[in-house]
Amino acid sequence: MDVFLMTLTTGIMVGGIYALIALGWVLIYKCSGVLNLAMGELTLIGAYVSLSFYSMGIPFVLSLLFSLIIGFVLGILTERIFLDRLIGKPILSVIMVTVGLSFFFKGIVELIWGTDTRVFTPAVFPLEPIRIGPLVIGQVYLWSFVAAIVLLVIFVGFFQYTRWGLAMQATADDEMAALSLGVSARFVYATAWAIAFMAAGVGGTLLGNINGLNISVGYLGLLVLPAVVLGGLNSVPGAIVGGIIIGVLQNLAGAYLDKYFPGGVKEVAPFVFMVIFLLFKPHGLWGWERIERV
Amino acid sequence: MSTTFLPCSVYHEDYTQDHAWWQTKFIRGKMILLLLLLFVVIPKFADSYVLSVCNQIGYTILGALGVQLLIGYCGQLTLGHAAFLAVGAYTSTLLVLEFPWPKFLMDWGLAYPISIIAAAVVSGLWSVLFGLPSARVKGFYLILTTMAAQFVTVDFVIAQYVSRIGGRGQAFSLPPGTIKIGPWVIDTNLKVYFMMVVLVILCVIGLANLLRSRAGRAWVAIRDNDISAEVMGINIIKHKLLAFFVAGFIGGIAGAFWISNIAAISYEHFPWFWSLWLVGVILIGGVGSIHGTIFGAIFMVVVMEGLQLAVMPLADTYPKLLMDFLFIKEAAFGLAICAFLIFEPNGLAYRWWQIKNYFNLWPFSY
Repeated sequence: MDVFLMTLTTGIMVGGIYALIALGWVLIYKCSGVLNLAMGELTLIGAYVSLSFYSMGIPFVLSLLFSLIIGFVLGILTERIFLDRLIGKPILSVIMVTVGLSFFFKGIVELIWGTDTRVFTPAVFPLEPIRIGPLVIGQVYLWSFVAAIVLLVIFVGFFQYTRWGLAMQATADDEMAALSLGVSARFVYATAWAIAFMAAGVGGTLLGNINGLNISVGYLGLLVLPAVVLGGLNSVPGAIVGGIIIGVLQNLAGAYLDKYFPGGVKEVAPFVFMVIFLLFKPHGLWGWERIERV
Repeated sequence: MSTTFLPCSVYHEDYTQDHAWWQTKFIRGKMILLLLLLFVVIPKFADSYVLSVCNQIGYTILGALGVQLLIGYCGQLTLGHAAFLAVGAYTSTLLVLEFPWPKFLMDWGLAYPISIIAAAVVSGLWSVLFGLPSARVKGFYLILTTMAAQFVTVDFVIAQYVSRIGGRGQAFSLPPGTIKIGPWVIDTNLKVYFMMVVLVILCVIGLANLLRSRAGRAWVAIRDNDISAEVMGINIIKHKLLAFFVAGFIGGIAGAFWISNIAAISYEHFPWFWSLWLVGVILIGGVGSIHGTIFGAIFMVVVMEGLQLAVMPLADTYPKLLMDFLFIKEAAFGLAICAFLIFEPNGLAYRWWQIKNYFNLWPFSY
């Protein structure tokens, strides 16, 4: 029972980070209809930037802030240079441009920072675990979860209450109507990418704190895809719930299935689960069901 | 049939002429020259390095043909094709190394050719298994399921289980002399080259003819609008699965071919990168055209080799470059895909078509 509870809590904590990254993904999709396969690389960039600042001796919170700013700039640049020209092109072109971007970013990251695993030194979060009743939780997980939740709340608040957020919601809901009411769609697209970059960067930084930072963190960023499919592609609450579910499932699979299928069950389980889920509920938990017409 | 304009005074009098592949004497001459180039000129004059580049091009073409069929003709987006190449390669290797062949088959050198066919069939069936979700989902969701195919097949089943067969650990080494067709042991680049040319020609002819059969027309109908296709009475599930089977079949041939060119096979030969690379090849070559696949493969391999040649001389002064070349290649590939999609969305095949028409219609192109 203890093992179960432990994996459950760890899963929820890691899932919080996935939820944060998934939120960025859903935003891009909702606002501009771009299915982004470069999410893993966005997490990598943000994580490496904040790691570089941190190893220069800048306090963690400040370096996180810097990586947010750089993520914002990079997001707007990416949207302007690459995605802006592809509005209205077929789905394959747009997806493959994000794939191209992912290679480009990955190559650049490897060129600048190399492929060795790097860790945040000195450790950002204290190493000794916290005990809550029977549970033992690493502080890294706990604080990462807290940070992820705080950011999630900030982002959701941004959408609900600020003028920009409302403009984004309007565009996501009905682009034509939003345009006719004076919302600049290009501005909304750029903001969506900027926010996705920032969310992914924070997510990557937190993930990098847990296990050290190398290229495989980009693979963890890819796990948002099962998460968003689970929640429904265009649902913000779906992304959050999906992210947490995927985190839990991944850890449960690692704990219980590893005995029967030794090896990389933990990495594969989310994708297998996703395929099975897709067969029964192709639109996810809260995604819109589009009725297709000829 | 043909999308190019025929020259003046060439008229078709019956349907066989209209459906012929090589419609004019000029085209026939051109094709014979091409065959001469492939079978005589290149083997005679190319050195081992050029041949190895050619083999790589051939492998890319074979791999990308299946992707072209799925994406370009049937509209089923796939990002996991390397999995089927891996299945083909591993099936063929296992059959050659582990299967108790009857003595006379071994003596006649038939083990490898039979294993190629078996690999193609196994790979096709495996592909159908992962094509099953296409009955219910499409577009982006299908991309996800094919990605799952890649991760499950290569990173899990093959890396963790298949690689362990025979207690070999991670990689299967292929001792020299095991890959044998008839009396010939495939050991030099030249022999691999001949095998490659024959396989590519067979696959291209097979696929091209399949595409103008009933099944091929059904695939194009599904690509253009699957709901209309269903309304017109096409069994779309059957045809989608057939497309997956044929794509996996060709992928299996590609994988089984590739083991003749490498000394040891490991699952790291078939990363997700390779799946994306194949999709990149058809995007650059042109979606929905077979010669686009060939152009794309030639372009990508030659450009990457050229990049390597350009980087090598610099490596003496900057040794770090040699190590970083892989990353430069990755970044260049990414940028190339983006640039092609933004500036040349129809690919090289479209440009080729324009050039051809320019000369066909010259000097009155209006």
